[in-house]
Amino acid sequence: MEQEGYTPEAGQEDTTRRRFLKWLLGIIAAVNVFIAGIPFLRSLAGPAAKARSGDWLKVASISSLPEGRPVAIRFMAERQDAYIHNTVLHSAWVIKHSPDEITVFSPVCPHLGCYYQWDQRLGRFECPCHASVFALDGKVLGGPAPRPLDTLQTRIDNGNLFIKWERFQVGTPSKVTIA
Amino acid sequence: MEPRLIGWINRWVNERWPLSSLLRLSLDEEIPGGSSFFYTEGSAILIIFALQVVTGILQLFFYVPTIDHAYDSLSYLRTEVPFGWLIHGLHYWGANLMIVVLVVHMLRVFIWGAYKTPRELVWLAGVLLVMITMAFSFTGAPLPWDQSGYWAGEVGTSIAGTTPLIGDLAKRLLRGGENMGQLTLSRLFVMHTSVLPLALLALFGLHFIAFRTSGAVGPWDALKRRVPGPFWPDQAYKDILMGTAIFVLLIFLSVFVPPGFAGKVDVLDTTYVPKPEWNYLFLYQALKYFHGPLEPVGSVGVPTIIVLLLVMLPFIDRGPERNPLRRPFVMLCGFIFCAALLALTLIGYYSPGRAEMSGSSSGKPVVAGPQLSARSGQAGQKDNGMQIFQSAGCTACHNVEGTGGTIGPSLSGGALIGKGRAWTVEQIRNPRSHNPNTIMPAFTSLSGAQVDILVSFLVGPGSVSASQQAGAAEAGSSSQLSPQLENVPQMGVKQQSSPEAVSGAMVGEAAREIGNSERGAVLFKNYCSSCHGPKGTLGMPNPGSDEGNVPRLNPVSRALYSREPKIFAADIDRFIQHGSVPPGKRPSLGMLAFGDTNTLTQQEIANVEAYVMSINGVDRAQIINPGLKPRNFFILIVVIYVLILLIQGGIRIKKNIE
Repeated sequence: MEQEGYTPEAGQEDTTRRRFLKWLLGIIAAVNVFIAGIPFLRSLAGPAAKARSGDWLKVASISSLPEGRPVAIRFMAERQDAYIHNTVLHSAWVIKHSPDEITVFSPVCPHLGCYYQWDQRLGRFECPCHASVFALDGKVLGGPAPRPLDTLQTRIDNGNLFIKWERFQVGTPSKVTIA
Repeated sequence: MEPRLIGWINRWVNERWPLSSLLRLSLDEEIPGGSSFFYTEGSAILIIFALQVVTGILQLFFYVPTIDHAYDSLSYLRTEVPFGWLIHGLHYWGANLMIVVLVVHMLRVFIWGAYKTPRELVWLAGVLLVMITMAFSFTGAPLPWDQSGYWAGEVGTSIAGTTPLIGDLAKRLLRGGENMGQLTLSRLFVMHTSVLPLALLALFGLHFIAFRTSGAVGPWDALKRRVPGPFWPDQAYKDILMGTAIFVLLIFLSVFVPPGFAGKVDVLDTTYVPKPEWNYLFLYQALKYFHGPLEPVGSVGVPTIIVLLLVMLPFIDRGPERNPLRRPFVMLCGFIFCAALLALTLIGYYSPGRAEMSGSSSGKPVVAGPQLSARSGQAGQKDNGMQIFQSAGCTACHNVEGTGGTIGPSLSGGALIGKGRAWTVEQIRNPRSHNPNTIMPAFTSLSGAQVDILVSFLVGPGSVSASQQAGAAEAGSSSQLSPQLENVPQMGVKQQSSPEAVSGAMVGEAAREIGNSERGAVLFKNYCSSCHGPKGTLGMPNPGSDEGNVPRLNPVSRALYSREPKIFAADIDRFIQHGSVPPGKRPSLGMLAFGDTNTLTQQEIANVEAYVMSINGVDRAQIINPGLKPRNFFILIVVIYVLILLIQGGIRIKKNIE
């Protein structure tokens, strides 16, 4: 940034002072850029992901569910993507053992995330992707699935079934909530 | 790096690109009389502009210019993106400070006489730059698509519409049609983020090159001009000190005086009183003095005259004398000009609109003053009745002249005129005596005088005397009004359910919007306090319910409270949207479904939620992901600057630098 062609007038050639000013100017400018720049970059990096448990969703009335047999129920859940909120349709497998004992399985196979089916004839869950097979209680009967079917939290209130929709990491032996 | 290498790179570049000449143009300048803090505003404006560009671009990463998501995307940036509060705060305060520094800059140039030959072009480009900046302010304010910005845009484009001949075209060009809407927002957005920045850059080039060509003007005193000083680094050092001070001030303002959340656009919400930004208040006030066919004189004439005066200045005041003391006439004119602008701004600031907002009346938009004083006698009493009607909470269920809910029958246009005073008094004091199934609460807390005014308001003052009418009204009561009233409980049953069921219901749009708690307070007073008590501190008796009272909202039940504003909002939103029937044999009062019945708009519900949260100590606009807490961030940067100050002071003393 040294300038040539400018000859200081008499009394202006205070070189130590001027060199010091240039240094100081550069340092202050750099500090300003850092003070603004670091938060600005941080804003683009976004917030750290924070798993938050969802709301209780009313998915069915208990009396409408058959006993001892899994049914796939569909329900609306709210999804938030930054500032866009919309409702999406989810499904889950519900098994009513008795009017106050209900199991709800996530419809996602814990192996690689496919949606599995219920085979009424053989009385078991089967995943079409890699042929994992699960019993009515979710235990792995065969295939590559690393863990039993994932259960969702349930609550029974006033004859209605409420669940909390969650997704879990697939392909791992332990059940880890991801969203 | 070695000096030889730097020299080589320098030569290599300069043989191909005029780097040294450009640096010389920007840095190499002699200032007559040497550097001064008086000359720093130009650079300060440039520094603020650079900050506006950077924070503006960063906001573009998050903001979307659509009427359904603009407000939410900005709210998201401000509360959920790390340092989003800082980015928006700097942009908001930078825009305001920019205008302040511009005014200071113009005043300084005016006092120094720096617009005189050969510097007319510098001044003219400067005047255009001021207009561009005002255009930035005008197009930027509506972008959040919140109450304040929307109305500023609505009124501003309407003002353009009053221009003779081309007004309609101008308005349509600005709005993209007849009405404010998506096309308006897109237009303002493109102007603010593409057209105006390009125009500003071009004009800045003109301004800057003209300035460097004529050179700095220096002091008017010939003696003081004798010893010149360089721009680089002497003036540049003072410039960066001023720029840093402004930067710290902007951070301070962003931390301690953050811009408010005005709430999403809602044309039905009459608690909002539109007022322009402070830098347009002079025009807003000037407009009030011109009515009817004269309106264009205020809306177009005043700004045109101001611009013309500024443009003509270097051609009117042509003498070479720059000392302000020796050109008293020009200084006096300038003083009158500034005083007039300042006076209009102050009058505009303190004019009725603002007072109206804090009052308990309907708060309908008041644009011109004279409307306020036109009331008298009869009308005054009607106002008073309307005030009680609102403050007692009747508007929560009953609609009068376009304001109020739809749960109860509309009481507009003398709906009760056939009922007579006695019936109406009884209906207010003990509604169950007329209809045992009614959900209308008994308003036992109103004074006799208040009920009297209310009844006069509903029945009409001179209609029929109470005693004459009492019997007749009682007889006819079931025929006229009851069909409507019988609808009420049915509607309630359909919409309302037990608190447990409500907790699983869908939340409304309102729960996701950051409402304005101040306007929520006004709504709360009108719609909620009749049952929940003033500021939510009381629960009115609710016979027939297990609790025996309407729940207090201050403090709110633990089951609904949450420190997380989004969860808290969702918890209370379900009740406000869908209503609920408290458990009990036959509760006389139930929570009304304000959302499902469209008694309140989603934006109004968001405001009420923000208010209910605020009385429970939770800020709806709380920053969820601050990055670093604003206060801590400010302390940190102050520490950094103080350290730099101390270190450089130490070096100065050690090396004996002045």
